[in-house]
Amino acid sequence: MFTRISDIDRLFETMNLLQKRLDNLYGDYEKSSGYRWGFEQNTPRTNLYENGDNFEIRAEVPGLEKDDLNVKIQGNYLEISGQRKSDTPESYKTHKTERSSGSFSRSFTLSEDVDSTRVDATLKDGVLYLTLPKNEAVKPKKISIS
Amino acid sequence: MDRSQEITKQEEKNIEKTKKLYEVPPAVDIYENEEEILVYADMPGVVKDDISVDIDNGTLSISGVRKLSVNGSITYEEFSNVEYVRNFSVPQTIDVEKVEAELKNGVLQLHLPKSEAAKPRQIEIKTA
Repeated sequence: MFTRISDIDRLFETMNLLQKRLDNLYGDYEKSSGYRWGFEQNTPRTNLYENGDNFEIRAEVPGLEKDDLNVKIQGNYLEISGQRKSDTPESYKTHKTERSSGSFSRSFTLSEDVDSTRVDATLKDGVLYLTLPKNEAVKPKKISIS
Repeated sequence: MDRSQEITKQEEKNIEKTKKLYEVPPAVDIYENEEEILVYADMPGVVKDDISVDIDNGTLSISGVRKLSVNGSITYEEFSNVEYVRNFSVPQTIDVEKVEAELKNGVLQLHLPKSEAAKPRQIEIKTA
């Protein structure tokens, strides 16, 4: 049933989703536990929004410069990869390291093709914003009857 | 009407109440050398004006609110608007006047310099 570690991780994701729904439902009564099931991983958390002509993706990438990030698009396939440099200063004693470092890669399959020539990517305050216009060919078109 | 709708309806009725943000502790790195203690905290999406750093009575508290607007329908969401809150005890030897904070690419950097009295000092031995 579970052939890869990512299958198990997907199961955890489902649990997280359920937990979030419950948190929202009872949000007034109790605070979210904030606990996330799953493996400790350094892939950025991502949101996907859809509005009419565009997809919008947001990813949490604190501490990354724009040169540390790579975005690749092909049809409806999107890949965000990057490297987070460790900013451990020299000659300091370490007390705590909770922030992740190292390279990560995350890929998405969107529900529709994207016009890769008009993609807009912005990095602001540690959040990567991607605006992905849907391909003209897949947009609904009105056909006039002659 | 199922239970979730009922609760939603109640929420809508109660106009005065604003939805509280979840409090989340930011991930931090803490380093120390002879001169200072250095704290890095990940707070992606928080702008400078929404961060507060307080040192009071030996407690350092940092808090930052992330206010990102949503446009369009949510296909999925792994992070939402939160309030990053975390408290630390700092030793009395920190020179509170000289604490510096810097926000860069969603990472808050705090320099907590040690006071002169707390720095290690090499004592020269005099020969008689």
